[in-house]
Amino acid sequence: MALYVLRRLGLFAVGLFITSIIVFVVLRVLPGDVAQVIGGIKATPEQVADIRVRYGLDQPLIVQYFDWFGGLLHGDLGRSLITNSPIQNELAEKLAVTLPLCVLGIVVAVVIGIPLGVYAALRHDTRFGQLVGYIAQAAAAVPVLWTGLLLILLVGKGVGLVSILPSQGFPLDGWAEPGKAIAALILPALTIGIVEGAALLRFTRSAVLDAMGQDYIRTAMSRGLTHTQAVLQHGVPNASLSVLSVIGLQIASLIGGTVVIETLFALPGLGSKLVTDVGNRDLISVQGTIVVLTALVLFIGLAIDIAHRVIDPRQRRVTS
Amino acid sequence: MTSQRALAVSYRPERSRARRTLVPAWLSRTWRRPHGAFGLVVVSIVLLAAAVSLFWTPFPLLQANTDQGWLPPSPQHLLGTDQIGRDTFSWLLAGSRTTVLVAAAATALAAVIGILLGTVSASLAPRLAEPIVVLVDIVVAFPVLLIAMLLATTFGGSILVVWVAVGIGAGVNLARIVRSEITRINASDYILASRAAGTGSFSRLLQHVLPNVAPLLAVQLSVTAGVAILAESGLTFLGYGASTTEASWGRVLADAQKYISVAPASVIWPGIVIGLTVLAINLLGDAIGEALDPRLQSGGKTDGD
Amino acid sequence: MSDSTTPTGDGPANQNPPDGTTVGEGPTPTSSVDDTLVGKEKKRRTRRWGIPAVLAAVVVVVAVVVTVVVVNNNTAPQAAAVDTDATLTVGLVLEPTSLDIRTQSGAALEQALIGNVYEGLVARSVDGSGDALPALATAWKVSDDSLSYTFTIASGVTFSNGTAVTAKTAAESIQSVIDNQYLGSEYLGSVASVEATSDTELVITLTTPYPDLLWALGGRAGLVLDTSATNDLKTTAIGTGPFLLDSWKQGDSLTLTRNDGYWGEKAKVAKVVLRYITDTNAAANALKAGDIDALAPIDATLAKTVDTAAFSLTKGLASDKFVLAFNNAKSPLSDIRVRQAIRYAIDHAAIVTARGDADALLGGPIPEGDPGYEDLTGLYPHDVAKAKSLLAEAGYADGLTLTLTVPSFYGDVLPNLLTSQLAEVGITLKTDSVEFATWLQDVYTNKDFELSLVDHAESHDFGSWANPDYYFGFDNAEVQSLFAQSQVAKTEEESAKLLAQAAKIVSQEAAADWLINFRTVTAVRNGVNGFPVNEINSRLDLGSVSVDKAAS
Repeated sequence: MALYVLRRLGLFAVGLFITSIIVFVVLRVLPGDVAQVIGGIKATPEQVADIRVRYGLDQPLIVQYFDWFGGLLHGDLGRSLITNSPIQNELAEKLAVTLPLCVLGIVVAVVIGIPLGVYAALRHDTRFGQLVGYIAQAAAAVPVLWTGLLLILLVGKGVGLVSILPSQGFPLDGWAEPGKAIAALILPALTIGIVEGAALLRFTRSAVLDAMGQDYIRTAMSRGLTHTQAVLQHGVPNASLSVLSVIGLQIASLIGGTVVIETLFALPGLGSKLVTDVGNRDLISVQGTIVVLTALVLFIGLAIDIAHRVIDPRQRRVTS
Repeated sequence: MTSQRALAVSYRPERSRARRTLVPAWLSRTWRRPHGAFGLVVVSIVLLAAAVSLFWTPFPLLQANTDQGWLPPSPQHLLGTDQIGRDTFSWLLAGSRTTVLVAAAATALAAVIGILLGTVSASLAPRLAEPIVVLVDIVVAFPVLLIAMLLATTFGGSILVVWVAVGIGAGVNLARIVRSEITRINASDYILASRAAGTGSFSRLLQHVLPNVAPLLAVQLSVTAGVAILAESGLTFLGYGASTTEASWGRVLADAQKYISVAPASVIWPGIVIGLTVLAINLLGDAIGEALDPRLQSGGKTDGD
Repeated sequence: MSDSTTPTGDGPANQNPPDGTTVGEGPTPTSSVDDTLVGKEKKRRTRRWGIPAVLAAVVVVVAVVVTVVVVNNNTAPQAAAVDTDATLTVGLVLEPTSLDIRTQSGAALEQALIGNVYEGLVARSVDGSGDALPALATAWKVSDDSLSYTFTIASGVTFSNGTAVTAKTAAESIQSVIDNQYLGSEYLGSVASVEATSDTELVITLTTPYPDLLWALGGRAGLVLDTSATNDLKTTAIGTGPFLLDSWKQGDSLTLTRNDGYWGEKAKVAKVVLRYITDTNAAANALKAGDIDALAPIDATLAKTVDTAAFSLTKGLASDKFVLAFNNAKSPLSDIRVRQAIRYAIDHAAIVTARGDADALLGGPIPEGDPGYEDLTGLYPHDVAKAKSLLAEAGYADGLTLTLTVPSFYGDVLPNLLTSQLAEVGITLKTDSVEFATWLQDVYTNKDFELSLVDHAESHDFGSWANPDYYFGFDNAEVQSLFAQSQVAKTEEESAKLLAQAAKIVSQEAAADWLINFRTVTAVRNGVNGFPVNEINSRLDLGSVSVDKAAS
């Protein structure tokens, strides 16, 4: 087991190293550079060349890469080319919006998805149970942008039928005003919650349906439990491991994938930052952000795999 | 926002290990299921709309009249007009072309990447397969959005970007799923039996393994097609997808989004069209999957999804 | 909404919005301005709020929502005393990329900092007259040969770091622009020397007359910075203006606080928050929801949805020219008939309508308010038949396919409309919507394009048409000679006359098409007075804006 964990950790490190190279190279292929963006449409070629020297962009690529990678090893992501502030700080500032948004979104998704998913599985042979399944499928089939727009049109301030929730933007002082910050996150979190919740519902439903077909349910029922009791007491716990994995993956992909939500709701989060930085060709900032994102996702994947092996003894046998 | 959805649906109940070949009747079995019929009908309508729009739209697409911006639906303009007075219904009709193209192309690319990487990494010796697995893991960790962003930045936003980004993103996800499914099937009794019988590994793959992966593939590829359509709308909204001259549903939605306070109703139509189509494709995929699934072939129960 | 040319930002005279809209009662949008900015002395605690707190707070969300609603329903009593403790929150669209006024280009940066944090020798008037206004130089005189400018520098002025401003510091600041090729130096080519002749007197000597000098000094070139300071200009600013730079949250907002040691008339609000909201919808909603006091500018189409009982809308001059650039140096646009055909094919009135009826028509390279402006809109009236025959003459009777390379942030309305209009004359327009950085490389630097669409926001930028190396690729000897003469003319009038002549040639030669001259629509909530109207995209003088006590 320890060997397995060590091995996975090694692969994790190798993965990150490869990622850093891929990201660095791919970003250098992009047309345009930060010096031109800074200079704008009035700058003469001489002025642009000047800026390039001033920002250290005239060094050979290999030097730039090892400068950056050396910093990474010390946990230093470097400084933004444009604002010169440490990228860690900028990331922390943006994550203060994106992480709560993802967590809230997942909380909504779990609250919607899991109970309804279990219900839909238990009642899969009733009309209502089937209806829940169909609604979940429909909710997962519409663009997330559209879900968000409909919510804004329903309850968003300024445009909504009932003007009660801030439709876009984030309070200036951020979490110094928790009430306002939470209020600003309600609609975006609901949007995420509905979309992810629908996916989670369907997954939970089929996982529980699967568990319902297992022998141990029959065994439990033969010991006097009703079908529902047997499923809830034995089936659901058995399904929970894979459901948890899915939630983990959902969080992982949300962290880097909320950009549509952030753009629609004008939230100053990580996704918006990435888009801006790519636009400005602030490559140091972009590569730092991507490496951190990739590390998070790989780490969550690693954690899920290890959890699976610890909890589920069958897996240990199959792959060892 | 897309990959986890693919994963969420990837889960399928255990299938019977008994091998059956594909029967030509799978299509009629699909049709017999209510959700299969619904899927077939809607998908056919979209295909038909795409074909019709090649020759005819109620109004020429480029006909603009700035005095008639944001007209409400009327007998003349069934779904109203946009900011510069173009007919929304015509644009949605023409958008179905882009949708069909993007969904088909992305699914095909994902299928190629997924099946190739999946079977190769499942068939090779673990030591040789490991680099592929690690690479796949890394690419899976990249959000589709990021791939699209880099592509669009280099080559400009277009539906090509959606095609390649979704194809790669969904492809590597599929590779993982195919790999684990093949690993599972390889460990099953009948494969062990056929190995013992001396069947070559390649023909074993073709005859025994791939047909058993087929139901799962049907579901996964339908999910990919849906994801491609949804990704088109998201990426176009962000400016990485369809360019202004490419008629697409995402473009109609993105254009309407900018003026929700002026013409709130205009965002409804593209959303409904996209939602119905994606729903239909997913249901169709499920139905085909069930029709291909040996366990569910005789009187199998149809469920909500 | 009315056209207003009231000068702003130059005195306390403007107590009401220039269009005179005043409203007594009615619900004020909200008091959330206060809520948003409560606790200005409070430390930011962004990172201390962990996930547990977030989760706990979900529970009280309902309570919060109710509170917000209740607060919103407060109505304002009638009173008009100025609230000197007020915080003014202004919604803006484009955010500066960095704050380095020396190297970072863009109007957004000038808008935020010039006149508010930094001051120059002179300031630009924004009333369309093009006059220079006193700033750090309280007076100046020009020698008869137009080669020597003598400025009297205000005394008792200090930078916000305490350093005193003298004629010497001012001279050093301007000299450093020239020496380091900072942005703005391109206007100082004819400067022979910048000298402080006493503590309060600064003399600029020129090699040849330069009628635009005062205008140039009203921009970045004439800004007075403390050259001995070592602060990082990218994120901080030390100036002499009525406001101090408090903080900058990239992607979100820039906060200014009143400079209580300001040498001139002190600012009337304690704090200004510039909120950058790129999405026009989000911006309009923030205004309606009361999160911002003013939106500059508001999308003209969305402006029609604003409640005019609670907000006043003004329309202001802007030097922004939306230029449909032709690559004059490359076939097929090197053929004047093709360029002319495109100009005839475009229905400019329809463009104005599509953008919400606010913008002005523009027939040539010089916008209203700049020297050399004249109405050239009659040169190329909308004429589909003529466009078609010109195309046929040029050998494109069967049609022509052109690619339009456009930075993505200009939105889709213009490309969509151009595609439709050009299709009518047989031109198939393909749009390549690219990021600005890509545009800079492909179009601006490498000149690899056919048609391009960019908002040339700068005023006094006619020189691009006399520079064959600029991306327009327009090479006309007569224009170049007229422009050269205009740059060494002794008086502004003479210069303007020469520019007008040159501009007419540029337009006749169809060097480009000028789609529209942007007009900014500004929405300001009632109770906020003296908000700037004109040229708000490059100057936003907030020193004279006041907020009524009761309404805030």
